Amino acid sequence: MPAHEMAVEIEGLTKSFGSVQALRGLDLTVPTGQVTGFLGPNGSGKSTTIRILLGLLRADGGRATVLGGDPWADAVRLHRSIAYVPGDVSLWPNLTGGEAIDILARLSGPLDPARRALMLERFELDPTKKARTYSKGNRQKVALVAALASQAELLLLDEPTSGLDPLMEAAFTESILEVKAAGRSVLLSSHIFAEVERLADRVTIIRDGATVEAGTIAELRHLTRSQVTVGLDGGADGLSGLPGVHDLQVLDGHVTFAVDEAELPAVLAAVARLQPRSIVANPPSLEELFLRHYGDELATLSKGDR
Amino acid sequence: MTVVAVATERRLRPPVADSLTGLGPMLRLVLRRNRVRLVVWWVVLAGLFAYVGTYYTSLFTTQAALNDFAALSNTPSIKALTGLAATPNTLGGAVWTKIWMTCALSLAFGVVFLVTRSGRADEEVGRTELLRSRMLGRHAYSVASWLVDAGLCVAVGAGIALASAAVGLDPAGAGVAGSLVVGASVTGVGLMALGVGAVANQVAGTSRGANALGSAVIGAFYVLRMVGDLGDGRLTWVSPIGWAQEMQPWGANRWWPLVLLVVLAAVLLAAAARLEARRDLGAGLLPERPGPAGAPVRYTSPLGLALRLQRGPVIGWSATIVLTALLFGSVVQSMTTLLSDAGSTATAIIGGSSVNALLAMLGMIIAMVTTVFALQSAASLRGDEASGILEPQLAGAVSRTSWAVQRLLIPAVGAAVLLLVGGAGMGASYGAAVHDAGQTGRLALAALAYWPAVMVLVGVAVALFGWVPRLAVPLTWGVLSAMWFVVLIGDALHLPAWLLDVLPFSATPHLPLVPLTWTPLVVLTLVAAGLVWTGLDRFGRRDVQTG
Repeated sequence: MPAHEMAVEIEGLTKSFGSVQALRGLDLTVPTGQVTGFLGPNGSGKSTTIRILLGLLRADGGRATVLGGDPWADAVRLHRSIAYVPGDVSLWPNLTGGEAIDILARLSGPLDPARRALMLERFELDPTKKARTYSKGNRQKVALVAALASQAELLLLDEPTSGLDPLMEAAFTESILEVKAAGRSVLLSSHIFAEVERLADRVTIIRDGATVEAGTIAELRHLTRSQVTVGLDGGADGLSGLPGVHDLQVLDGHVTFAVDEAELPAVLAAVARLQPRSIVANPPSLEELFLRHYGDELATLSKGDR
Repeated sequence: MTVVAVATERRLRPPVADSLTGLGPMLRLVLRRNRVRLVVWWVVLAGLFAYVGTYYTSLFTTQAALNDFAALSNTPSIKALTGLAATPNTLGGAVWTKIWMTCALSLAFGVVFLVTRSGRADEEVGRTELLRSRMLGRHAYSVASWLVDAGLCVAVGAGIALASAAVGLDPAGAGVAGSLVVGASVTGVGLMALGVGAVANQVAGTSRGANALGSAVIGAFYVLRMVGDLGDGRLTWVSPIGWAQEMQPWGANRWWPLVLLVVLAAVLLAAAARLEARRDLGAGLLPERPGPAGAPVRYTSPLGLALRLQRGPVIGWSATIVLTALLFGSVVQSMTTLLSDAGSTATAIIGGSSVNALLAMLGMIIAMVTTVFALQSAASLRGDEASGILEPQLAGAVSRTSWAVQRLLIPAVGAAVLLLVGGAGMGASYGAAVHDAGQTGRLALAALAYWPAVMVLVGVAVALFGWVPRLAVPLTWGVLSAMWFVVLIGDALHLPAWLLDVLPFSATPHLPLVPLTWTPLVVLTLVAAGLVWTGLDRFGRRDVQTG
């Protein structure tokens, strides 16, 4: 049983760069043994948060705990148990990928040679090539292999698949599921909603350096609407007036609308009375949830009160 | 609020023991990355000293020959450029006058660049972040690089001491004290530069900035000692390079100035470590400020964009040239005072030619500094190609030739302006002292005579960019260094006279010491044009190669 219930605990974290405020009271938890998704648009503070967790930046205020320690003061001790993959990997141009992996690995716990070989094979990476000849995706693989072949308790991944092709993303998914099965924890910052939905147990969404939503994926889905499409021979009379029904559109005998989770039973009963030919219901996706939050932001922006 | 403040305060300091964790692997990394560079620096610097030592031993076989050489060396130009040995009429003293400053300065600049290579340069692109995300103490990477560079300084010093003793520069029966002191003095300058480089790497936010700041400080130390050496010697003590000179190998054989140098290095390294412990990774001392939200239309052309991007270097180099030139002018003024004190006969016999020789030599230094600017600007063509930023530019409606030509306008026009301004500054400062306003224009034109020579080197850079893009930048600087070496010590290298004479800086008439001749200037201009043409022609036909 791991010593800490929470691999990462952040409360009210703030950080400024000159006059620019990057974090304004961010909250984030990563429970041990789980994968936590970390979503937010570009520039919302995801990378700053991860760099604070690595002790590379010092927070101005708030509290951050990583594996029970202080990320700034205990950085070296903590890093024995942490593996990090940045979104944009730069390597020493005149060293090979294999050399870079070993240099990084030697700075942490022991690297299992069998696991290193397995990861190199899984990610189809040639470790004998000089780093200057690697594409962006291949440089990223070097960091991924070094992180995934380690025994780290906590993986901090900052958009780790941004340069990978779909085949390699599948290899990544497989590896993360193995990590989770081994009871290790992952903080996964990503733009790819499908990836986060597939892998994450919990999700934290941030905006402008502050948390706007956090919870399990199931919990978050309650906050939003299901998308329902029904084939109706008759009209859709009365549906648009029901509480909880939004954005109703009729096209070629198909009626599409969004419905609030809470009103779903009543709406479905009403649909049933209209004798539908077919019905397709999609649970709300993370992407819609995300867009709803940022849609609000767009609306606010266009009103010009920021 | 108070709780947060206390909590923040409490976590200010990580355990000291942690700060060097991972030093071993980092030492191996620094050695692995720089193994070729370190060996080359060592071989070149120790080898250079050994070579000149051997050559002079065979050249000066009698005391009379040494006395003649000492008399010949006792000119303001030599004092300014390399300093004069404490005992110029000994074998060791002759070698010191010839080569010590070159070795010490080269080591100093080399160390600054090496510190940046493993410091700001790695931090800038995120490699340090990748390392520090592992079990790596805050100072381990820096300290590893400092240790390796300090090792190079000690190795170069030891190599020079060994070479000196082996060649037999020490007077018979005096042991090897002079050899040890000369080696230690070079090591001391290197260690001082290590401290300067370390602080520059913490203060500046970019690797280019760190190299510029470190080099500027070393350059300032050099100029300070130049003023001191030309005067009564007191100002020499203001410059750490002067401390190393004052160790006086084969003269007083002092060891205590080495202590000053080591203490200065230690203080600077401690300051750098303190800065490193407190700042965020990736940050310099000044936070990034927001800039304009849009760009003016003039940035659309390659020239407009390059002018904006190179604004900082252009301003920095202009300021450097102006300050240096004003200082040079006042140095010459103090020289003329000294000479007139020696009596009117002395002035009449050696004064005129001596002052003109000094002015010509200082003009050449201004031209050399200008060359560094011009080559830096020309090398940015390859820099843009290597980083990949060239591709989106060429994807726009601009031809390769047009892009390159516009970019080359900056070194071409910039060099002319810097030469004019530098020469005029020196002339104004000197003219004010001798009450001759005509000096401003005269020395401005004298400096401008070096423009074709500067452009030949720019042409070499462009030709290398066209033909061997991957090696272009190191080769460009290599060619410049080789040329400086040959100009400074070519006579000792047994190189044929015609080769020395055709080098751009030698071929240029050294105004105002000699009268203006147009032929070499026209030939140099044609050579420069040819080199630029072949480079641009090749660039238009070859692949664009990133990385």
